[in-house]
Amino acid sequence: MKIPKRTLRSGGIQGSRATRWIFVGPAMLVVICLLIYPLLSTLMYSFTNKTMIRNDFDVVGLQNYIDILTDGDFYSAFGHTLLWTLFSVLGQLIVGFIGALALNRVQNKVAKNLFRIFAIIPWAFPAIATAMTWKWLLNGIHGFVPTLLRDLGITPELIQFLSDKNLVLPTLIFINIWFGAPLIMVNVYAALQTIPQDQYEAAQIDGASSWQSFRYVTAPHIRTVVGLLVVLRTVWVFNNFDIIYMITGGGPAGASTTMPIFIYDTGWTGRLVGKASAASILLLLFLVILCVLYFTVINRWEKEDK
Amino acid sequence: MKKLLSLSLAAALSVSLLAGCGGGGGTAETDNPPANTSFQPAGEAGELSGEITFWHSFTQGARMEAIQAAADQFMADNPGVTINIETMAWGDFNTKWNAGITTGDLPDISTAQNTGEVVEMLNAGVLVPMDSTIDAIGRDLFSENALADMSMDGATYGIPYYSHAQVMWYRTDLLEQAGLEVPTTWDEFYDAAVALTNPDEGLYGCAVSCSPNDLLCTRYLNYYVRSGGGSLLNDDLTANLTSDLAIEGINYWVNMYKNCSPAETINYTVNDHATLYYQGTTAFDFNSGFQISGVESNRPDLLDYISCAPLPKMNEDDPYYSAEATHIPLVTWANSEHPEICQAFIEYLYQTDNYLDFLAAVPVGMLPSIKGIDQNEEYLSNPTVQQFSDEAAIITQAVEEGTAIGFEHGPSAQAGLLTSQGVIEEMFQDIITNGTDVETAAKAAEDELNEIFATMVA
Repeated sequence: MKIPKRTLRSGGIQGSRATRWIFVGPAMLVVICLLIYPLLSTLMYSFTNKTMIRNDFDVVGLQNYIDILTDGDFYSAFGHTLLWTLFSVLGQLIVGFIGALALNRVQNKVAKNLFRIFAIIPWAFPAIATAMTWKWLLNGIHGFVPTLLRDLGITPELIQFLSDKNLVLPTLIFINIWFGAPLIMVNVYAALQTIPQDQYEAAQIDGASSWQSFRYVTAPHIRTVVGLLVVLRTVWVFNNFDIIYMITGGGPAGASTTMPIFIYDTGWTGRLVGKASAASILLLLFLVILCVLYFTVINRWEKEDK
Repeated sequence: MKKLLSLSLAAALSVSLLAGCGGGGGTAETDNPPANTSFQPAGEAGELSGEITFWHSFTQGARMEAIQAAADQFMADNPGVTINIETMAWGDFNTKWNAGITTGDLPDISTAQNTGEVVEMLNAGVLVPMDSTIDAIGRDLFSENALADMSMDGATYGIPYYSHAQVMWYRTDLLEQAGLEVPTTWDEFYDAAVALTNPDEGLYGCAVSCSPNDLLCTRYLNYYVRSGGGSLLNDDLTANLTSDLAIEGINYWVNMYKNCSPAETINYTVNDHATLYYQGTTAFDFNSGFQISGVESNRPDLLDYISCAPLPKMNEDDPYYSAEATHIPLVTWANSEHPEICQAFIEYLYQTDNYLDFLAAVPVGMLPSIKGIDQNEEYLSNPTVQQFSDEAAIITQAVEEGTAIGFEHGPSAQAGLLTSQGVIEEMFQDIITNGTDVETAAKAAEDELNEIFATMVA
């Protein structure tokens, strides 16, 4: 029903300018405090030589950016972040997707709910519990997993998952897949529930194989949801700090240092706020570009669906 | 486009926050006589009124309770006073006060991790002199070395609350089983550590832990260099990691890591590291008297088989040396609006009963910073103090003759930065993990430290 403009202006809620601001104000305040202010202050500090232990600072122009872009540790951390993000998201997607498809085929409702609850357990743990548990399981002195592998004769000696520079990043990626796959699974499973059953029946009547049913019925229905999940997981995993920091601290010798840890070390251990801010801005630019690419694809999918 | 904008903003928020992000009850005791009768008990000090905040890092139960009990009693004696206590780990403390300089969120009183951190605070200009408090308690009751470590331009900015020093801890049963004597030189120490290493039985001679989030490699290298009469700092307070002695020391500890340490310790911090000795995984360790309480709580069955000796020397007939003594200070912050309450409360903490209660939380681990307390009957009646009296004497000698790392040149911010930046730890990780040549890695670490000194020291 169309509401006459006169009614809106004459005394309704929308008629009061002050009321509008009262409703919008808190949200704006949150955005200003939690987004605009940190972003602008980070941008400002990135052009200064601000350190943690002194209030005074000078403007140094692009020097921090030059320092960062000529620092080998930055590229090393950036490379690790790309590997960490790519393989974590890919692994979570594959495992979560397979889990969702399997769950979708379970007929018993009780079993289905139980499986769903157990699968989501990794998400119920606080990061500190997850990190400490894995750190204990993989401990290279008396950890359960290395000891088991050695005692079963699979490895000749205790395998150093967390202190071998070649193993540490794959190990962390494995932990992250374990941690993140359930989210993908639950969301994809929810999307699978929305696919009309008659489309599968029609495909079956037309003689479609399982792969063809998946390709032409399942995939088009869930790709937007999966696309959004990939975008969200990419941003979250890219910025993930706690799990890696608590398990390895970025070591050994930077072998598991990702961009967030590089920024933390620069800003908090090194106390170089200006340089850490410059690295943050560079990371931000990269993520914005990545998001633009992702959403270009997702928007195209949405248009095709319409 | 809206989605694009909102996701971009979410990404922006996540990233910008990365650069911007970074306190029990107890019972009270009354009528404590002061350690030094020259000052008036705080309860009689007059009309005190106001609120102060006390940050400390005594996170273990007994120490935390002792402090809380003292604060509760002080507040009961001074109804106009409120003391807000916030407890945080040592590492978090450093982060918090660093951030507080920008945000203004700073305490009135706090502990500091060591005298080096006090100098860092002085460099940041956030402390006020505590000479009146020291004089009220009795300046002559404190170690001159300890006060000198926290003095600048004739004023003293911290009061040592308790002291400890680094000594060599060993397992008497393991040495006996292997027919080994307690090592007195670095060569003997290495040989003994190799002889006792048996990974199949989960036993290692000596852990070398290299996490850049802690200072253990700096500490170990400093032992070696100091035993040879050298220093990790030059007289002009630049870093010195490329001297023959330092290079020899780096090689020594790298070999120790490769042959006697669990590989896992490459990422270990102080707590992870010490736990190895507490649990009987390592035969030797370097630490203060805190080893006793650690072993007691982890493996009480080993308590009769631990002992300590002075740090190994280069040669048997070299003179005695102490490489690292630590005085945990209390400091008063410049932003405090109630320095009179701060002074009265600190004096109250040093009253004999309060002080003994605090020291009893970790006997021998926390040695008294006030002269004469170690002769106090109540102090001496503690069972742990009695059992480990020989060890306490060894640590006390190391306290009296040692300084903080790098303080052999006097107090300096550079000495604090030497231990807080993790540069030497990163150097060890690089050598061990990437096989980087020792001289090359040492030169790179030295250059990095000097750059940090130039940037950070006012």
